Amino acid sequence: MWLIKMAWKNMWRNRNRTIITMAAIFFAVILSVIASSLQKGIFDNLVKNVVSFYTGYVQVHKQGYWDEQILDNSFESSAATEQKILQDENVTAITSRLESFALVSSADITKGSLVVGINPEKENEITLLKNKLTQGSYLNDDDNAVLLSQGLAERLKLKAGDTIVLIGQGYHGATAAGKYYIKGILKFGSPDLNDKTLFMPLAAAQDFYSAYGMITSYILSLKDTRNLQATASSIRKTLGPAYEVMTWEEILPDIKQHIKADSSSMKYIQGILYILICFGIFGTLLMMMVERKFEMGMLVAIGMKKTKLIILLLVESVFTVLAGCLLGIMASIPLVYYLNRYPLKMGGETAKAYERFGFEAIFPTSVEASNFINQGLIVLVIGLLLSLYPMYKVIRLNAVTAMKR
Amino acid sequence: MRHIILIISICFSNTLFAQTAKEIVQKADDKMRGNTMQAELIIKTIRPTWTREMQCRTWMKGNTLAMIQIISPAKDKGIAFLKRKKEVWNWMPALERTIKLPPSMMSQSWMGTDFTNDDLVKESSVVEDYDHSIIGDTTIDKRDCFIIQMIPKPQAAVVWGKVIVCIDKKDFLELHSRFYDEDGELINTMNSYDVKMMHDRIIPTRFEMIPADKKGQKTEMIYKNIQYNKPIDNNFFTIEKLKTLS
Repeated sequence: MWLIKMAWKNMWRNRNRTIITMAAIFFAVILSVIASSLQKGIFDNLVKNVVSFYTGYVQVHKQGYWDEQILDNSFESSAATEQKILQDENVTAITSRLESFALVSSADITKGSLVVGINPEKENEITLLKNKLTQGSYLNDDDNAVLLSQGLAERLKLKAGDTIVLIGQGYHGATAAGKYYIKGILKFGSPDLNDKTLFMPLAAAQDFYSAYGMITSYILSLKDTRNLQATASSIRKTLGPAYEVMTWEEILPDIKQHIKADSSSMKYIQGILYILICFGIFGTLLMMMVERKFEMGMLVAIGMKKTKLIILLLVESVFTVLAGCLLGIMASIPLVYYLNRYPLKMGGETAKAYERFGFEAIFPTSVEASNFINQGLIVLVIGLLLSLYPMYKVIRLNAVTAMKR
Repeated sequence: MRHIILIISICFSNTLFAQTAKEIVQKADDKMRGNTMQAELIIKTIRPTWTREMQCRTWMKGNTLAMIQIISPAKDKGIAFLKRKKEVWNWMPALERTIKLPPSMMSQSWMGTDFTNDDLVKESSVVEDYDHSIIGDTTIDKRDCFIIQMIPKPQAAVVWGKVIVCIDKKDFLELHSRFYDEDGELINTMNSYDVKMMHDRIIPTRFEMIPADKKGQKTEMIYKNIQYNKPIDNNFFTIEKLKTLS
């Protein structure tokens, strides 16, 4: 008990030194918390962006559709199946689509395009399609009209209010042909979507493809996106082998890999950050040992056991490191929340490039609790490991040489 | 003396035989086509999990002029195709447009069947563009048939490497054909059934086309009625007529 008391007194004997050590740890914690929450936040935002472009977090198809994406692999939409999926607590919304390729044509120009039948209101809940409208108005359920992506409209030299001709092959070899009113133009960030997609109400698409009552996929949005895999496998279990349930990670493996590659490079950056933190803390410890060399030599000389001395120093460093960590976490919480609320904005060319691809040009932070705790713990462990250095010094201490001025 | 007669008769019969191979094919072809032909037929597309039925009407004159109009299903009613020599136009009433099929679409499926657009256009004549030889006899449905091998002439625009046809000896009916590519691989098999009296002649009225590489897939054509040699004016085969057919 007296050891702890003495450690406490020692800490405040040289207030500046303790504060400097604490400050080193304090800033280390803030830095690493912000770095990792930014990383996490940026990737979450990227995923949110990409997923809300088109794919949704989870899709349900007929078994085998993904390998052969043709209309003949569609399935009958049923309220019972939808209910089964919605039973999962993590699923917040569901919408159905009928997708296939067809030729679209204006007066003289013809292009291939993905023709997607959607449920206008529900689709908007998941992929925010309405926000992408740049011209005209949004679809209603019973319209016999289409929304055209901007790139496609430019290539075909069409605008809202014109008529477009679609021709292709429908369900079970039927001929699909029709004329449609263009109700609006959509602008997508992804060039892929912007250059070759066309949306129409589900009923119109089913009529066009002669695929009455059929859909090719259900698109789901989730409440908690971290439980992606668990949710997908529980839906897979309820629906049985007739359906395939795919997460966005399976649908867009390239994005998944990009995140993986990027986060491994972030690991190096974080490693360097930790090394910097090590040196910061180590520097203060080094100074402390030099300053207190005489004092320790004297303590040993008047008969203090080295083990007691070591424990004393350990208690001192645990106090300082712990206090620094706690203060750091406390200070970083409002900071991270602020950056989450008012994210860092990119400017200039980079921002334009980001926006062109439909990404928000911001760096938001993630406010996950585990992040603060993890980073705090990492710095704590670093601090404690480094306080092994004073221990080592004490073991090697020779009272006489230490006291020589 | 007897030997000489024998040799002469053998030679003679050989030349006679070589001619007959071509003649047999010619007779069978003439019989099926006539000078002009108008027909109503049902086309069934059969797939492992579904089937689809179409009814259409056709007009044909010689090798070069043809018109096909879809009567049912209701959604496709009025869709029509016109063939003039090597070109095909497609009238889509839903679009109120004629589309000239580009060469790139020729190898694609016609109306979702196992026939390609190219099958509509091919101008090649089974008589003129092949060298024929009889390679054996067989019996199909209790009918004696010649087995005739047809090898395309070098200059002919034919996609096949070899065609084997079985033609009935008595009525000159093409009962079975096999189409091979240049590597000798079987591509399509065509069988004919339901030999019946149609208009003025006996012909098979049900044909099935079976692609060799797709299991459980075939297309059936069933002729409901045929009229031969009813004169059709050349002006009938025009794009204007295509739109106004009903």
